[in-house]
Amino acid sequence: MDALLRRVAEAKDRAAFAALFDHFAPRIKSYLMRLGAPPSQAEDLAQEAMLSLWRKAHLFDDSKASAATWLFTIARNLRIDAIRREKRPELDPQDFEPEAEPDADAVITLAADEVRLRAALKTLPPDQAAVIEQSFFADKPHSQIASEQGIPLGTVKSRLRLAMARLKAALGDAS
Amino acid sequence: MNIRHHPDESLLLAYAVGASDEATGLIIATHMVFCAQCRRSVALMEKIGGGLLDTLPAAPLSAAARDAVLARLDEPAPAPARLPPSRDGTPGVLRSYLGGDLSDVRWRRMGPSLAYKPLFKRDGISAKLLRGAPGTEVGHHTHRGQEFTLVLSGGFSDITGNYDPGDLQIADGNLRHSPIADPGEDCINLAVTTAPLKFENLIQKIAGPLFGF
Repeated sequence: MDALLRRVAEAKDRAAFAALFDHFAPRIKSYLMRLGAPPSQAEDLAQEAMLSLWRKAHLFDDSKASAATWLFTIARNLRIDAIRREKRPELDPQDFEPEAEPDADAVITLAADEVRLRAALKTLPPDQAAVIEQSFFADKPHSQIASEQGIPLGTVKSRLRLAMARLKAALGDAS
Repeated sequence: MNIRHHPDESLLLAYAVGASDEATGLIIATHMVFCAQCRRSVALMEKIGGGLLDTLPAAPLSAAARDAVLARLDEPAPAPARLPPSRDGTPGVLRSYLGGDLSDVRWRRMGPSLAYKPLFKRDGISAKLLRGAPGTEVGHHTHRGQEFTLVLSGGFSDITGNYDPGDLQIADGNLRHSPIADPGEDCINLAVTTAPLKFENLIQKIAGPLFGF
C-alpha cells in the first residue's frame, strides 16, 4: 500500500490511487460507522478522505508513517470537522526540530516497526487490548468507558499505561 | 527541553483518537510542541490507529463511489489557510487561535499584575491565556471541574511543585492551591477549565465570575 501511495505522490498515478481507494475507502467507512456515523455520511467522508489523500500525497513521508496511519489521521480529522463541527488543534511541523534526519533505512525501520506493533497488539492482555480498542471505536471519554464497565477510572488509566508501556517496549522505545 | 509534568496516557490517547474536546486538544497539542516524548507517544497511538483501520472489516461503498472520486481528482484543491510566519516563535497551533503572535495579544487587565485573554468556550469548557507579573499570586482556589494549565513562558510554583515552559498542570477537585508566578519574567499560561474555579477570597469570589473564571 505504501508503494502505491508513493506512486500517487511521485507520478499522480491514477491506477495506484484506484487500488488504494479499493482497499482503504471501505475500511474508512467502516471506521466511521463504528464511531456512530450513518452509512451515507460515512461513505461521503470516506470519499473526502481519499480525495484529501490524493491532494496531499506530495506531503506523504514514508519514513514517518504508513499509508494506513496517514489515512487514519486524515479520517479522524475529517470526522471532527464534519460530525463534531470543531477544528482539530493540529501540530505545525515547523514548530519543532525533527527528531532525526530520515536516512535510507528509515522506511525499512518504519515498516518493521509496524509489523512489530501489530504483533504486540495481539499479545496484549485482553483487558488492556479492550481499553485501547474502545478508545478508538467507542467515541466516549475514558470516564464513561469506566462507568459503563463498572470499573474505576483509575483501572482504565492503569490498563492504558501498561498497554502503552508494552507497546513501546515492543518497539524498543524505553522512554 | 526538560519537561517534568506531562499529560497522562488517557489524555494523549483521547487526542490521538480525536475524542478530546477542542480546548483540551489545544492544550495537549501545545504541550507536544515542547515535548518530544509526548509527540512520540501520540505518533505511536496513531500507528495503532492505522493498524486498526487497516484490519477493519470492509464496509463496501456504493458502486459509483470510486468513479465519483476519480472524476474529482483534477479539481483544484482548496488553498490551505496560512498565517504569515511568526515573529516571536509562538507555536503554530496556538497562533491559529490567537490570529497572530503572543506578543500581539491584546490583554484584558484584571488587577495590577494579572491579565487574561479569552480564546474560546464550548460546552462549558473554556480556553484562555493568563499572564502574571513575576511574583503574582493567584489566590487560593479549588476546582469544581478540571483545570489544565500549560506554561508558555516564565514559570509558576505551588504546593505540587514548580512548572516551567512546556509543563502541564492538571488540577481537579482534590487540589487546593495558590499558584505564584516565578521571579524573573512574566508567566504566560494557556489554561483550560471545565467549570468555574472556586476562589476563597471574597473579592475574587465576586470578581471571578465577572472575568469568566
